[in-house]
Amino acid sequence: MVSGTDSGFDERLKAYVGRAAMVGGTGKDPVNAAMIRHWCEAVGDTNAAYTGEGAIAPPTMLQAWTMGGLSGHTGRSAAYEELFALLDGAGYTAVVATDCEQEYLRALRPGDEVRFDAVIESVSARKTTRLGVGYFVTTKMDVRVGGEDGEGEEGEVVGTHRFRIFKYAPRRKGTAEKSGGARESSARRPRPVVNRDNAGFWAGVAERRLLIQRCGDCGRLRFPWLPGCNGCGSEKWETVEAGGDGVVFSYVVMHHPPFPAFDPPYAVAVIELAEGVRMVSDVVGVDHDEVRIGMPVRLEFRRVDEELVLPVFRAVGPATETTEPAMETTEPATETIGPATQTAEPASRDPELAPLAVPITRTLIVAGALASRDYQDVHHDAEAAREKGSPDIFMNILTSNGLVGRYVTDHFGAGCVLRKVAIRLGAPNYPGDTMTLRGSVIEAEEGGGRAEGLTVVRVIGENGLGRHVTGTVTVALAGGGVV
Amino acid sequence: MSVRRGDGLGGRAAIAGIGATEFSKDSGRSELKLAVEAVRAALADAGLAPGDVDGMVTFTMDTSPEVTVAQAVGIGELSFFSRVHYGGGAACATVQQAAMAVATGVAEVVVCYRAFNERSGRRFGSGVQQREPSAEGAALGWNLPFGLLTPASWVAMAAQRYLHVYGLTPEAFGQVAVVDRRHAARNPAAYFYGKPITLEEHAASRWIVEPLRLLDCCQETDGGQAIVVTSAERARDLRCRPAVITAAAQGAGRAQEQMTSYYRDGLTGLPETAVVARQLWRSSGLTPREIDVGILYDHFTPFVLMQLEEFGFCAPGEATDFVAADALPLNTHGGQLGEAYLHGMNGIAEGVRQIRGTSVNQVPGASRVLVTAGTGVPTSGLVLGADEG
Repeated sequence: MVSGTDSGFDERLKAYVGRAAMVGGTGKDPVNAAMIRHWCEAVGDTNAAYTGEGAIAPPTMLQAWTMGGLSGHTGRSAAYEELFALLDGAGYTAVVATDCEQEYLRALRPGDEVRFDAVIESVSARKTTRLGVGYFVTTKMDVRVGGEDGEGEEGEVVGTHRFRIFKYAPRRKGTAEKSGGARESSARRPRPVVNRDNAGFWAGVAERRLLIQRCGDCGRLRFPWLPGCNGCGSEKWETVEAGGDGVVFSYVVMHHPPFPAFDPPYAVAVIELAEGVRMVSDVVGVDHDEVRIGMPVRLEFRRVDEELVLPVFRAVGPATETTEPAMETTEPATETIGPATQTAEPASRDPELAPLAVPITRTLIVAGALASRDYQDVHHDAEAAREKGSPDIFMNILTSNGLVGRYVTDHFGAGCVLRKVAIRLGAPNYPGDTMTLRGSVIEAEEGGGRAEGLTVVRVIGENGLGRHVTGTVTVALAGGGVV
Repeated sequence: MSVRRGDGLGGRAAIAGIGATEFSKDSGRSELKLAVEAVRAALADAGLAPGDVDGMVTFTMDTSPEVTVAQAVGIGELSFFSRVHYGGGAACATVQQAAMAVATGVAEVVVCYRAFNERSGRRFGSGVQQREPSAEGAALGWNLPFGLLTPASWVAMAAQRYLHVYGLTPEAFGQVAVVDRRHAARNPAAYFYGKPITLEEHAASRWIVEPLRLLDCCQETDGGQAIVVTSAERARDLRCRPAVITAAAQGAGRAQEQMTSYYRDGLTGLPETAVVARQLWRSSGLTPREIDVGILYDHFTPFVLMQLEEFGFCAPGEATDFVAADALPLNTHGGQLGEAYLHGMNGIAEGVRQIRGTSVNQVPGASRVLVTAGTGVPTSGLVLGADEG
């Protein structure tokens, strides 16, 4: 059980803030073409800038050059080791990386030898997350090239790397905590209420089909499922499969009270399907405060836990009825168009990046971990992962970082250069899942008199469990910042 | 069919007594004890003895059975007992049931009651996370996996649609909250006695479920309320001035659900309330302009606006302005936002006080009061009138 929950313990942890985490670290290998190739193969990055004459290393490899590999880290400070020992001793034995913010000041090239120092930037107060109770520890590392020991010069800073990990006491299944049983089940979403009248709907969902009842006599479509028609009273019915297009008919944003399986604030909507029936569901792919009445949505199926798949709806555009002619047929003609549609975003719509679906194979997870020299067993050894409370191995943060970087550079093509990648991880990428990366330009600065314009892209990667990664990527475009 | 023409119930029964416990956040006693205290108080108010009672009506949601309350109050044989379903939608229907029993001679004195520890015990606002696979459970079950779990959220879905269609902002709901709290501020029995609010305070209160803020949501209360119904004739001989049941009605709409009727019409009104309104106007022969006081069920402010529109006090989308203009004295006890959340039963008591001339916010000469029950569910309503016999 976890001890050290008193404020005295927190104080002891705080004492490590500002102390060095790593001093005089050196890369185990110089930047080299072989590791670059392994990395590019693992994350599927075919950018020409990373091969051949004058190749640079993918900027998102920054941390990989500092990794200790199988033989372990060098240069970790006593303070850092002490902090971790303190947390381990108090029961916070598990660790997961949650955030990675990197800034790339100049490209690394084969032959560069990196040196690095890191400081413990912050230790959070005790936090409760879905993983368990623990502490966030943030370190900031400067990566340099050049400068020698004893010469009094530090070399050139080529990149900075802020890294946040969560050091926590894993929640154990079936622990006899008071009301533990209820808590275990209530941490999952409420179950659908399935009975003989509506079982056909949920059987359809299991096959990834959204089934609507149609009266066998008058042909009227109906939802929710009932054993008779409200239009003509007939008991005869059949099903039709929904095409999947719909529109947000209304929505709410849930704030209070909190429920264990949900993370407020979150939006819930009434969706009007193109077929004309409505159902309550979740809108995915946009933040809770971006859902609007009239927003076109598209059906998809989401696995929310090991036994529950839900039909949810992905926002596929803004709530502008003028640009979505299909909307006119789904909105009753007698209703006025409300303010949300009249004040919809001006013409400068965010340019969207084409989505990229990444199958999360066991091979990708392991290859990404090894190419980034991350030998934590939870990324390659399923048995060890399970012992640590994870259902399977899961993707490491460096691979996620690499995939996000690749997604953006793939979009902007040759000549673009990554300047910053800042990501936060959420739902883990487990084998067998698919992560779909989506991005939109949120800031585009014209090149103007300067040599380059910076473009900021917001990237979201969602898997079957929810959001795996959210982040912003700043990229310099050779031809000026216009997309 | 009664939904097409007036009924013959009007004027035959009256409310002769009202009684309540204190309204608190922690009663410190059982729900049964609260029910017993409220029933005793109502009988004392009427000047009747437990032995006079031969009928009892409550809500299906009440945990104290009629026979158990009867035992503890000293009531003997019962020839009529009934319970009404659909949460707060039952409130006025308990009185309708009592009036029907009295009018037909099935019973002579019927007590309607509702008592709960809704704040210190089971709080409705804490939401629902599972239901049995009955038809009723399955109906609500469509919402649960998606996280639409609380009464506030079920109402907010329609409220959002209302704002959208009429081009309003969530501040539109503030007028109802301000009026309720203004009345509660002058009511010593109200939880928010002496605590009026402003529109600014409403707009600054935190979100519960957008577009509903904290001050759009009623309180949660421990307490009990009872109402004594007997024939209009007998009521005239009792202690207090009778409040005649001029009209009483229940209503459910087509494709009705409980709080989540999302699968019909435009979601900007309350079709079940329209059924009640039609029936009350037809049976009483009255029009909205002839109503002196409105006690409109206010678990959440948006549905007060929709009720005003369904009853025809104003046009659709105009209720905010109607309330702001003080065109009709509303919820003079402070409503469930200001006085107490007693599942609408305290509103019936306030209607009676207005007819008697004893409200703390008395409307001079009030002789016709509209009282409604829980909205968004199958619902009910009453027109109470001064005795003209």
